[in-house]
Amino acid sequence: MIADLREVLRYRELVMTLAMREVRVRYKHAVLGLGWAIAMPLSLMLVFTAVFSRVAQVNTGGVPYALFAYVGLVSWQLHANIVNNGARSLSDNSNLVTKVYFPREVLPLAAVVSALFDFAVAALLTGALMAWHKVPPGAGLLLVPVILAVQLCLGTALALMLSALNLLYRDVQFILQVTMMLWMFASSVVYPIPASGDLAWLAWVNPMTPILDAWRSAVIGGALSLSPAFGVASLFSAAFLIASWRWFRRVEGAFGELA
Amino acid sequence: MTQTAIQFDRTFKRFSRGKRVRTLAELVLGWPRRLLQKRDAGGLLEHEFWAINDVSFEVRKGEMLGIVGPNGSGKSTILKLLYRILRPERGHVRVQGRVGGLIELGAGFHPYLTGRENVFINGAILGLSQRELREKYASIVDFAGVGEFMDLQVKNFSSGMYARLAFAVAAHARPDVLLVDEVLAVGDNAFQMKCYDWLAKQRRQGLTVVLVSHNLYQVGASDQCLYLNAGEVVASGSPQEVIARYQTELAASLVSRVVTAEGQRGMRIERVQLLDGAGHEISALGHDEPLRVRLFYDCPQPLTSPVFEFALIHDDVRFPLHVPNHHLFCAFSASAFQDVTLSGKGVAELSLDAMRLPTGIYRAKVTLFERDYASPLFVLDGAARIEVNHAPFSDGRALIDCRQAWSLPVEAKVS
Repeated sequence: MIADLREVLRYRELVMTLAMREVRVRYKHAVLGLGWAIAMPLSLMLVFTAVFSRVAQVNTGGVPYALFAYVGLVSWQLHANIVNNGARSLSDNSNLVTKVYFPREVLPLAAVVSALFDFAVAALLTGALMAWHKVPPGAGLLLVPVILAVQLCLGTALALMLSALNLLYRDVQFILQVTMMLWMFASSVVYPIPASGDLAWLAWVNPMTPILDAWRSAVIGGALSLSPAFGVASLFSAAFLIASWRWFRRVEGAFGELA
Repeated sequence: MTQTAIQFDRTFKRFSRGKRVRTLAELVLGWPRRLLQKRDAGGLLEHEFWAINDVSFEVRKGEMLGIVGPNGSGKSTILKLLYRILRPERGHVRVQGRVGGLIELGAGFHPYLTGRENVFINGAILGLSQRELREKYASIVDFAGVGEFMDLQVKNFSSGMYARLAFAVAAHARPDVLLVDEVLAVGDNAFQMKCYDWLAKQRRQGLTVVLVSHNLYQVGASDQCLYLNAGEVVASGSPQEVIARYQTELAASLVSRVVTAEGQRGMRIERVQLLDGAGHEISALGHDEPLRVRLFYDCPQPLTSPVFEFALIHDDVRFPLHVPNHHLFCAFSASAFQDVTLSGKGVAELSLDAMRLPTGIYRAKVTLFERDYASPLFVLDGAARIEVNHAPFSDGRALIDCRQAWSLPVEAKVS
């Protein structure tokens, strides 16, 4: 395990290079260029703002809905990009997998890094939105690295597992599309999941809800505390990452034949 | 002390011919059936076979191993095992140091990125650090000779430029063990020469090389040679012996593979006889001796204005002269039988003067056409074989050789 980690670390430059290749190719042809990374969550935020502040009311606990939705959408977007691009990373690069040797983790990891790039661009706008709504930043910002680390653990675990599964079984990507959509609506992305009542269990079985809630309480609320559910989600994500990576290592020998 | 660079120890690699479970749906639905499948004594399922079957060899540091064998014999699989793209089912593959490949050039090249960007990405994939790449960038561009195009997207590169750039990056990856799979046929002649020179220089500097090639002249330069067939080692050892054996078996398989286009209207050339000047059937010919060829035809229906073609094809794949649509030697009867009608069985005879063919074993290919010779009525490839003997005049240095007289004429003397 340690030797494996060392090998992956030796290839960190390749991870960065491939991630930058992804980013370059993605923005080279987009009309908006880098703006695309913002346009995506921004437009979704506007749609959901129109729906939930005019048509149906949701209780955001006093937070301006636009800000509530934007923070949720940006971090969900990060998660979705990691999972979706990560799942495709091996099959899209089958010409590399069948032709050159390097630790196969490099490809899903590069997908994680390139998703982080979009996330960083989109996150910049959060500051502007907070200033617009006169929400002052608080000490909670110190928790950002912790929350991000937990979310990345979860996302990377899924990216590793799904990239291999997607190579083994071609119908995984269709199942994934549906699952990701359902997952988004089962998480507190654009509306809060109530902490009590019939649906309270959703926050405990779905690690994304405590993660999304943690983002909001830290960034918008400025609170320097994390919920017990977030603790559970952290432990789960770390364990999942280790299990997923070990499994990836076990099956990667066959990738050269499958891709 | 010489070190072992590559060790292949009783290695097996299993491939499946049949279709593999490719979807989760199949995985779930096919589960009961897979439970019933039994592996045979060798550990194979019904659709499986050993692509590499108990192969062992060792290559010492600085040596070159050449691998020959027909298509599908497992040559490329060995390279992929060495490159860790595939993992063996049994046995061990050990390689000391960094493995580099001239196997699939330009892996990771992205069409929408510029030549420059692709050099850095491809180089990283081949294991170079960005710092090393910055240092070597000028040298890479210089080697590829595409300097003024480096800021162009590679989708706009010509295939030659693309291949040259890809080769240049691979050449700068400084591997300890280099795997070469038929890729030196890149770019124009001048660039190919550059690649061979580069390879020769690397070998002098102690690079270990594994070379897979159908060009037996290339393989002949290796230190040891492996002849594979159907995943098994047929012969290994000195390249001369191994290649000779491969040649013999290849030639035997070629001659047994007689190609005929079944005659239209039943027209056939049944047999081809090769005779010397005295009318004796021969299997070897002095390179400047005359040859008589007898073609035994059978025309069940009358055939007017027949045209015969008799070609000699060098039966050695090593022979470097193969020109599309041309035979090394060909006799064509053209209008010799204008308005002649053949009917039933008979013989057409061709007399050839000293042809001075290059030394080697030839196979005969005969074709029968009708007047306009648009499409052949009948083709027989491998109809006969003949060996052209070595001509002694130029000490074996010439492909085309002849009796010669040298002198110093008085008037040319320098006073």
